[in-house]
Formats: sequence, structure tokens, C-alpha cells
Amino acid sequence: MLRRTRRLALISALAAAAVVLSACSGTPDQAPSTSPGKPDPDATLHVGLVLEPSNLDIRHTSGAAIEQILIDNIYEGLVTRTQENEIEGRLASDYEVSEDGLTYTFTLNDGILFHDGTALTSADVVASYETVRTDATVQGNAEFAAVESVTAPDATTVEITLSEPNQNFLFALTGPAGLVFKKGDKTDLKTAENGTGPFTLTRWNKGSTITFARNDDYWGEKAGVAEVEFQYIPDFTAGVNAAIAGDVDVLTAVDPNLASQLEGDFTLTKGRTTDKATLAFNNKKAPLDDVRVREALRLAIDHDALIEAVGAGTTLYGPIPELDPGYEDLSDVVPYDPEKAKELLAEAGQEDLELTLTIPTFYGTTVPKVLISDFEKVGVTLDVDSVEFPAWLEDVYTNHDYDLSFVLHVEPRDFGNFANPDYYFGYDNAEVQDLYSQAQAEVDPDKSAELLAQAARLVSEDHAADWLYNGETITAVSPIVSGFPEDSINSRINLAGVTVSAEK
Amino acid sequence: MVRYALVRGALLIAGLLVSSVLIFLTLRVFPGDVAQLIAGTQASPTEVEALRESLGLNRPLVAQYTDWIGGIFRGDLGTSLLSGASVGEELFLKAQVTVPLGIMSLLIAILIAVPFGILAAILRGRRGGTALSVGAQTLAAVPVVWAGMMLIVVFSVWLGWLPPQGFPRTGWSTPGRAIESLLLPALTIGIVEGAMLMRFVRSATLQAAGQDFVRTAAAKGLTRTRALIQHGIPAVGLSIITVLGLQVAGIIVGSVVIEQLFTLPGIGRMLVADVGTRDLIKVQSELLVLTGFVLVVGFVVDLVHRAIDPRQREAA
Repeated sequence: MLRRTRRLALISALAAAAVVLSACSGTPDQAPSTSPGKPDPDATLHVGLVLEPSNLDIRHTSGAAIEQILIDNIYEGLVTRTQENEIEGRLASDYEVSEDGLTYTFTLNDGILFHDGTALTSADVVASYETVRTDATVQGNAEFAAVESVTAPDATTVEITLSEPNQNFLFALTGPAGLVFKKGDKTDLKTAENGTGPFTLTRWNKGSTITFARNDDYWGEKAGVAEVEFQYIPDFTAGVNAAIAGDVDVLTAVDPNLASQLEGDFTLTKGRTTDKATLAFNNKKAPLDDVRVREALRLAIDHDALIEAVGAGTTLYGPIPELDPGYEDLSDVVPYDPEKAKELLAEAGQEDLELTLTIPTFYGTTVPKVLISDFEKVGVTLDVDSVEFPAWLEDVYTNHDYDLSFVLHVEPRDFGNFANPDYYFGYDNAEVQDLYSQAQAEVDPDKSAELLAQAARLVSEDHAADWLYNGETITAVSPIVSGFPEDSINSRINLAGVTVSAEK
Repeated sequence: MVRYALVRGALLIAGLLVSSVLIFLTLRVFPGDVAQLIAGTQASPTEVEALRESLGLNRPLVAQYTDWIGGIFRGDLGTSLLSGASVGEELFLKAQVTVPLGIMSLLIAILIAVPFGILAAILRGRRGGTALSVGAQTLAAVPVVWAGMMLIVVFSVWLGWLPPQGFPRTGWSTPGRAIESLLLPALTIGIVEGAMLMRFVRSATLQAAGQDFVRTAAAKGLTRTRALIQHGIPAVGLSIITVLGLQVAGIIVGSVVIEQLFTLPGIGRMLVADVGTRDLIKVQSELLVLTGFVLVVGFVVDLVHRAIDPRQREAA
């Protein structure tokens, strides 16, 4: 089982959860009130964010909060991903995968410079990737498990060979594992940087702001603003107040509850994410080892009503979200049907079922409340055990000691968890595992996605879990800002194309 | 006096050592660890184990303890497991919110307690005195969180005078805004602590009123109230200082709750966040610094008391 991403799920989950977990009705998208004026190349863009990175060492620390601002802006990899999670070249002008899927050949762009002025060569790429391959404490080490060698035939070419084909490898290179650092660099990455991106880090005022400046020596198209200031505002109300007061031009992760306060002055966008609000069933523990019980629980949940209560999000009836390969609409698997749920529970001899939901405290009470009332209608009593995240990690994630659990799984392409019987879901299906490894080994991306879709359908039909919703992130953008990304911004905010106009 | 100070100082150090062991051990009882938290929900047990090892969390407890306490003796409070930042530096930074908050709270408490306490003593037996006593009793029983919420409702929501939460991003470079945002929280702690202190001032004043020298002064022709104010109150001052020392502990505890409620970036909030992320080295040092602070205040109060009050010296 490959573990493709290692990131601090807490941080991204927290942000995303807080965004969507509050009861309110949907917020209508708002059309911009004015068309943006002429871009001002000397402007500063002020962006309000919720969660600050604990440090800036992206090589050793996982966390969406770090990746969100540093990848593509400060550091770059050979490849990157678009807002739609599609892979495209970055430092590499071109890349080729051999027919057998074992050899990856990258051609570097011309004139790439590190921020200290040194030219980037293939030797830097080799050194960076060798570190990832050999040092277990570096982010992405596990994703490089199949890497056999990284070589540089010449100064602008990098060749990576794998021991077996891996459909996920290129995607892994879009994350921290693929970033290129200067060979033998002595920069303390916890507080400083020496990347190749369109921005440089100018200042980090811990607990408050991080400032980037445009890199005028950037090898590609220069950034549209002279400076970016990220303001970290952990409190949602304070964030909205800051936006109203004009302190920020863009506010990310807007609480759906508070979004209406920003209408008029800001354009509100709803961005897609790969956040899967997962109601995990302990597949190895009675009575949830009975597929009828699991199906009954899923049939009892009114997903549309739940999303309405949460305030943002879309339905998701299987393990793969729309932005990942292998997505398919699986709503036919569990239509809302409490009557059938009752029958199934009776059949399984579980008419007076009492279950416990273990949920990290930061997810609030909206989801548990809806579940309690939905389950009550089919005769299932739900006790809610709200625990701190570290306790959740120990009890649920490590010790598998739970009935039902709720966590927002934010990682893209993490279907492998359902092909891993040791994962906390405890879901063990040989056919799914087989399909998944086939999909991994499949060289053709379309065929691979097809195999994943088959596996995902099986997982949903087995009711290995319930996917309560696919998260959405609300962003408020001032009319003077244009080009701000909408989708997947809880994992990447690519600022290169953003401009700010002098006046409204 | 010197001998007393030495004995008292030895006790202080012993107290700190015992606290450090207690803090260290109790934190080990928490479920979950920072390595698992950093690794996230995609990491395998082996990866978490590797991380735990690189963070030094696998080492025997005794080694972890001696490392930590050894560092403290060298003046090094350690580094955060998560951020790698110096704990001492961050404490200093956060103290810039918590210390002014504490001082403001204390001042408000004194401003409430001393005049009203004395007034309550003077008015004893009269309707006003009873009202003051009952009021103090009630306020002292109010939970800090509730008091804070009421103040937010009145001063922020209704009157719109003061910000309901937060601290200016610019910090003390905009002193006006900084003080503004500390006023409500300080008022919250100050009122509750002040009410408790007021009951003490009242009873201390009454006790002084019963003393011989006050009665003598009254016999010399002063009114009872004047005798109390001119001769009784100064004598009460000393014991108020002692109680204020104790009050400091109450204010520290109060600030943990209040910083949460008003989202102030102070030591209390940092402590809660660090417990949440199991950044144990950081939590240990923070708790030890706070414990040390309370113990040192107690120590100083004891010494001052002894130096000033002749009766204690004789008793020794």
C-alpha cells in the first residue's frame, strides 16, 4: 500500500471544517459589482488566511498551511498541478514517460535561477530527489519508495527510473517531494528560503503575517503584484471584520454563516476541494462488520439536508471526489430511504442499536446533530464522543477503538486507504485491493482511472464508509483583485497570475 | 532575617523541582503525541515511529526529564517540537499581552476593592454596608467566563465602545488600540477578583477598627471613621499586600480563560494551543515558568511581610 501524501491533516482539516461546519443556508454566488480597473504592478495584495504554518521547513514538516503558500510561489518542482488537480510542467518544460511506465525524462526550462542568484541545473534536481529517496525524515520519502535511480544525463535533463510502474508518481512530484532545492544549500529552511519561484520571502512576523515580494529575476513570467501579505486570522468573525474594514483584499475559508456579511463589497466564490467529509465505520467491529447495518446507516442519512445544515459542500457517495481520477456519480448506491434502513436493521437483528460517534472537537456540532436525528428515525441511538484531535489520532486512527468516526479527509488521491486493511477503516476486500494495485501499475492514465472507478464503486456498494459531503471553500475577493484562484485553494494558492488594480 | 530568607529560598527551589516533576509526569498521561499529529492521517506506523525517534520522544522518561531540566538550569527553556522556535522567545512575545493584562486587572481589582471595602466596613450595620457586602459576595461568585460575556454584550454589542475580541495585529506599536482591546478582558478579571479582594479589605478594616490603637485615637477625639482612616487603614495595608500576592495566581488562571474568550494572543492562549498540539516540551516550560512566577511572588511577599511587620520577627 503506497502512502502518497503525508501532510498534517489536522491543519487543513481544521480550516476546511471550520469553513463548512456551521449551520446556515447556502450563500448565493455574487456577481462582481464593478469590473476591475487597470492592474497596478506596484500593488500589494493582502490575503486573509486562517491557519498559519508552524514553521516554513516544507522539507520536514507536513501541513496544508505550508504547501498552500510556499509551493509554486516560493518553491517549485519539475511539475505542478492546476486548480483541477491536473499535472503540468513547471521547472520542466517537457516530460516524457516511457512506454513501460518506468522511466521519466524531464527537460528543464532555460534560465532558472535560485533566489540567491545561482543557476539551477539538473544536478540540483538530482541532489534534491536523492535526499527525498534516502532520508526518511524528509517529506515524500514514502512516495519515492519505487524510485530506483535519479540521474542527470546533461545539465538540462533529469531521468528518474522506477522499479515498477506507479500511476501516482508524477502526482507525488507536484507535492513537497518534487520541490527542487539548491544542492548543498545551507539556508535554514525553518525561517528562510532559497527557492526558484516568482516570489521571495521577505518577512515572517510569527503569529501575524508572512510577506512575499515579487522576484524580479524570475525565469518565467513575472508576478502581477509587487508584494503579497498573508494575514493569519484564526477567528472567523475577526476575519470577516478585517475584510469589511478593508484590511484584506481577499479572505479565504469564509465561514458560510458569515458569508452574507461580505456580499456587495466582495465577490464570493465557492471553490471545489478534494475534502471528503468521511463518516468512517469500524468495518472490523460488530455490529458494523455486518454490511446490512452499514447500508442501513447510509440509507438513513438525508445527505441533501445535511449539506444544507452545513452551509456549503456537494454530495459525494463514494471515496473519490470529482477532482480526482476515477470519479463517478455513485448516488444510485444509497438513495435516502429510512424505511428500507429500518427493514435492513430488523433483518440484521439490530433494532435497538446504540452506537458511538467519535469526532474531533474542532468539527463542531452541526454534523453530529443531523446524524443523531437521522439515525433516531430508524431506531439507532447515537452517542457523540467529542475528543481532542491527538486523542482521536490515538484512539481511532492508531488503536482502531471506535464504532463510527467523523473526519474530513483532505488529501487528494487517497483512495488507497480503502485498499489498505490496516487503515483505521478496517475495510478488507481483496478485489478492491487487486483493482487498486492494477490501477497503480497501469501506465495509461485513462485506463488507470477506469480501474479506480470500478474499485470505488465496489467500496461504496460494500458501504465501507459514508461520504457525507465533498467540501467547498468560500473565498471573498475584492473587486480590485483579479485572477485569484478559486478551486483547491486550501492546498495551493498560486499567486503568479493575480493582479490588483489601483482603484475600484 | 537572612536565615529566614535562606530557608524560604531553599523551600522555593524545592517547590519548583517538585512542580517540575509533577508537570513532566502529568503531561505524559495525555493520549496522543506530536509525532502522530505531524505525520497526519496518511502516515504508516513505521513513519510515525521514525518521526518520534527523530524528535527524541522514544527516549526514556528520565533522560527526557533531565535534558529538559538541565536546559532550564542553563536558562534554555527548550525549543518547540512543532516549529523549532525557541520557547523562551515566544513566551517573551506572548508576555507582552499577558503581563499588561495582568497588571491592568490587578489595578482594576485594587481600585474596586480598597475604596468599596473600606466603605463597606465603615457602613457596617447600615443598609449601604449590607448592600455592598451582598454585592461583593455575588460578584465574587460569578464565573469569569460569564462576566466576560456580559461585558461583551453591554460594552461591545449594545454600546459599541470596545472591541469584543482580538488584539491589534500591529501590537503595541499602536498603543491606543492595544489598550482598548485589553480593557474589557482586564475589567472582567478585575471585577471578579476585585469583589473577592473587597470582602477581605472589609474584614481587615473591621479587624483594625477593633484594635487598641484605633480605639485610643478615637478616645483622643477623632471620630470613629477618621480614626479608622488615619490609623487603622495603614495597618491593614500590609495584609492586603499579602492577599494581593495570592491574587496574582488567580489572575494567571483567569487569564487562561479570558484570553480564550477574547482571543488574545497571550500566554494563556498559547498554553491551550500547545496542549492541543501535544507540544509537550513547550507546555512543560510554560507551566514551569508560570508556577515559578507564582512561587516567587509568594516568596517576595513573605520576605516583605517579615521585613515590615515587627510582630512576625518577634514570633520567630
